[in-house]
Amino acid sequence: MSKSINRKRVVVTGMGSVNPLGMNVDALWQNMLAGKCGIVPLTSIDLTDYKVKIGAQVNRTELAAALEGIKVRPSDRAVDMALLASSQALADACIMTDEPSDIGTLFGTGVGCSESLYNANTRFAERGVRGLRPTSVPRCMANAISSQISMKFKLTGPNYVLVSACSSATSAIGTAFRMIQDGHASTILCGGSDSPFDPLVFGAWDSLGVMSKNADPTTACRPFDANRDGCILGEGAGALLMESLEHASERNAHIHAELCGYGESSDAGHMTRPSQDGQVRAIRGAVASAGIELGEIGFINAHGTATRTNDECESGSIRAAMAEHADRILIASNKSFFGHMLGASGVAESIVVIEGLKAGIVPQNLNLDDPDPACRINLVADSAEKIDAPVALKNSFGFGGGNAVLVWRRWES
Amino acid sequence: MTRKEILVKLRHVMKQASQEHIDWNTVIEDATIESLGFDSLSMLDLIYDIQQEFDIEFEAEELVSINRVSEMVTFLEKNTSP
Repeated sequence: MSKSINRKRVVVTGMGSVNPLGMNVDALWQNMLAGKCGIVPLTSIDLTDYKVKIGAQVNRTELAAALEGIKVRPSDRAVDMALLASSQALADACIMTDEPSDIGTLFGTGVGCSESLYNANTRFAERGVRGLRPTSVPRCMANAISSQISMKFKLTGPNYVLVSACSSATSAIGTAFRMIQDGHASTILCGGSDSPFDPLVFGAWDSLGVMSKNADPTTACRPFDANRDGCILGEGAGALLMESLEHASERNAHIHAELCGYGESSDAGHMTRPSQDGQVRAIRGAVASAGIELGEIGFINAHGTATRTNDECESGSIRAAMAEHADRILIASNKSFFGHMLGASGVAESIVVIEGLKAGIVPQNLNLDDPDPACRINLVADSAEKIDAPVALKNSFGFGGGNAVLVWRRWES
Repeated sequence: MTRKEILVKLRHVMKQASQEHIDWNTVIEDATIESLGFDSLSMLDLIYDIQQEFDIEFEAEELVSINRVSEMVTFLEKNTSP
């Protein structure tokens, strides 16, 4: 698809982050620059019979204190973290929330309000149908995330949740981008939230067998390394306040970055095995929608889960889509810093991309001690790299075959 | 139960469900439900707690649009009387 001159430019004017590496964007970025890993032994559930006992967990004490600060009573971790990230993004964008505004709310999630669902299941198992609270429906529905945000901050625009597994937040951001680009909305709060750390969801992932068996938290997640043996799950939320450039200019908003392209595709093949064909179509679609030359791209923030299959497939996809530029463009995954945040990973990693474009820095691939020869791409090694190129891609690929790619551009004021 | 007994018991149930930092012993019948920290979601939880504590069954919709404590006490007075 070619870029139409009638389409509006879309910029980010507010960011919020709740991450295992810290409770706001600055804490996330500074801890990444310091090379800190947010993966720890999991303490929130009894893992006696589980094979995997580590994950990237948001600090519970800090989250509770931060929620009290915005007068939110904890209900479900995915909702709570999304509310906090949203509060930060709106404040960062200087959006007042004491009066209703026509801002839209689009969030992505992979497992949704799984804590509420687990609690309802537990009560049902213990007390039968009379144990089910009337709030089970509004608490368990996946769109409780966007609904609660919309109600808390009086955002009266479109309000829904997109679910596409690990590409959910990226799909939400991309969908919001198109809505603003085509004039259906001027401002949208978008992002993602996920928490897989309840006994049922984490148990299901434990059973699936795609998580690393390495018990050492700091070395278990090794994207693109020859000795990688699986992903490590994480939890968190991120929010971006996106608006048309003209709307941002009218209100003199500070601009963090421009989102200039979005591509998506479906593998239409296998439920858990990725497809190079599908990924390449999404990457090429994103580049085409942005109307950029491959030479403008400085780095790609990879999906980079550290499973054997993903990293090899994604490397091939990047090489095929970037052609002769594949040897130059820097590639890094952030999942060795804060785990795989599932449906929230796309927004957490987009925030890292935006901070990277602003600072001219691509954080390193933690634990890339021995790059896998099967991953023939230009991987950032054990220290951060400086970059000058103005454009970066964010790849997200999900179970079920959904592929989503964003094209971010540094904002030149 | 007398109206006064219902109010005392209701205050206790509300305190558990609300988690607001207020002196529940001083809550009067004229107080609005909203002023006690209940929103559309926690109101549903409160209704469930009332059903459990007062051991009565009713549809949540019967109480969900109530605005004041007094209306709730009246409803319970009617539905808990022998």
